[in-house]
Amino acid sequence: MSKVSNHEEANSTALRGEPAAQLAETRPETAWRGSFPSAAVTSDQRMKVLMADDNEVTRLLLNAQLTGWGLDVIVAKDGKQAWDLFLEHAPPLVLTDWVMPRLDGLELVRRIRAHPSDHYVYVVLLTSKSEKQDLVAAMDAGADDFLVKSCDNQELRVRLREGARILRLEQKLAEKNREIRDAQAALIQSEKLVSLGQLAAGMAHEINNPIAYVANNLAVLKRDISSVMEILDAYRAQIDQLRLADPQAADALVRLEQSHDLSWIQENTTPTFDASLNGLKRVRDIVHDLREFARLDEADSDTVAIGDMVRSTVAVLQHLISEKEIAVTVVDDTNPSIECRPAAVNQVLHNILINSIQACGMRDRVEIRVGENDDTVCLDIRDSGSGICDNDLPRIFEPFFTTREVGRGKGLGLSHCYGVIQDHGGTIVVKSKLGIGTTVRIELPKQRCTQSTEGHK
Amino acid sequence: MNASASERPHILLVDDEPEILHSLKGLLRREFTLHTAETGPQALEILRQHAIQVIMTDQRMPQMTGAQLLGQAKAISPDTIRILFTGYADIKAVVDAVNQGQVYRYLTKPWDPDELVDLLSSATAEHQQRKKLQAILETASGLCERISNSELAGGFREECDQLADQIKRLSDG
Repeated sequence: MSKVSNHEEANSTALRGEPAAQLAETRPETAWRGSFPSAAVTSDQRMKVLMADDNEVTRLLLNAQLTGWGLDVIVAKDGKQAWDLFLEHAPPLVLTDWVMPRLDGLELVRRIRAHPSDHYVYVVLLTSKSEKQDLVAAMDAGADDFLVKSCDNQELRVRLREGARILRLEQKLAEKNREIRDAQAALIQSEKLVSLGQLAAGMAHEINNPIAYVANNLAVLKRDISSVMEILDAYRAQIDQLRLADPQAADALVRLEQSHDLSWIQENTTPTFDASLNGLKRVRDIVHDLREFARLDEADSDTVAIGDMVRSTVAVLQHLISEKEIAVTVVDDTNPSIECRPAAVNQVLHNILINSIQACGMRDRVEIRVGENDDTVCLDIRDSGSGICDNDLPRIFEPFFTTREVGRGKGLGLSHCYGVIQDHGGTIVVKSKLGIGTTVRIELPKQRCTQSTEGHK
Repeated sequence: MNASASERPHILLVDDEPEILHSLKGLLRREFTLHTAETGPQALEILRQHAIQVIMTDQRMPQMTGAQLLGQAKAISPDTIRILFTGYADIKAVVDAVNQGQVYRYLTKPWDPDELVDLLSSATAEHQQRKKLQAILETASGLCERISNSELAGGFREECDQLADQIKRLSDG
């Protein structure tokens, strides 16, 4: 074939001798339906293809043919329009003429390649240029395939099918990569929690001693100051006697009392000590919770029916449930039992349910479903509450992570739950959609594996 | 309400942190006569020199752990009531010490000041009870011996010897 300078003439002959009526019969390629990157698939599951050619007849013919093969065709009259339509529709497959006004096919390919996209774009250059250097230029620009015009429709069909196959492989690869990324993130997350647990254990121990004597000192000071006050009052009762003997000294004492505001001190010392002791008690509780998270304490195991625990937890929280008129249902057909530390598991149920109730609005629903497999029991706690946003979801088990305003809630509830469930050899998974609700799935082994908890000192 | 200095029970506090000892002194000085030590060997020395009713020791200390110290204290002064004072991570040490019969009670850090005072008061009361019982048993055993060796025993000599034996075992245990 010779180099064709008149591309108008070449275009018009691109599909010579193959009327649209015949193309309709060559429609075996239903295989490429429904198997394309989800981002590029339309609601009717047909693959989008962007077709650009400045010749009207070629456009008509190609459109009929591509549509006949089950593709969703987006038609562009020139390179500029093709680029705009590409940005709008993000098609996975592009079939473009080379020589076009405003923006030629080569430049279109370069732009597509430079454009960040969440899926691969397979580009076929369709042209009347046929020299080897043209092919090299097209491939250099980033085209995947190069078709010389006046190729027959069967060749076009198999070339496009090849493109579709590569797109499918690319999609699979992308999926696998996503899975690997997710698994990696989960791994990092669980490692982070383990190291946080060790940190918490160390902290709990180190903080304990100073808390112990500071709390004790406060109690001692409170008692001793009240003794001093008692003595002081006894002296003050003698002020009249003093005034008789030495009026100046008595006045000086009264002035001293006033300048130090003795009456304020007498009124406020005890409340100040009480507030400090209270604050310290809170620190002590935080250390206690952190210790729980780090699983420092081992208590005795017992075999209990998980459904009973659920029902008693619901009963304990009834006042919160009634306040919001939440419909709570417990579905428990088999009432399975598990061997566990009942107090710890109760605490987990309590924390999870409180979170669910707090996420609920008026008259929302909470459903707790108890199920069992051979070796495990599972609990699904589903609420129709506000849900958790994607940014927060991966962090909910971290100690001190809370979405409540500062001062409300320490952010230790769920990290504690995580620690307890892990310690029992179980799993806890939270799924949530903002505005739809949250499901917490807890799976616990029926028999407690007696794995060593040494090393948590 | 405060006992006069001479009547106050003697208590030995052992902890390697001086701040803890100082703090405890502040709390307990009114009700008890206090002795303090920062190490196990120091504590044992005090125990040899003074009549101590109650010893309360921290578990985690260099040189000698609290449980070890109480084991040796039992040999030096068997009547002294022994209390182990532990952080959270030492539960195993407590269990071991309790099982070996070295500990009357244990207390976790951080402690509640009122609870601690109550615990020490009941420990000293316990010590007093034991002392009284010991005295009664000694008197009884002496009496048995004398009866058994005298004309009075008559046909009861065998019973008397048995009783003396039982009393001896009781006061040794």
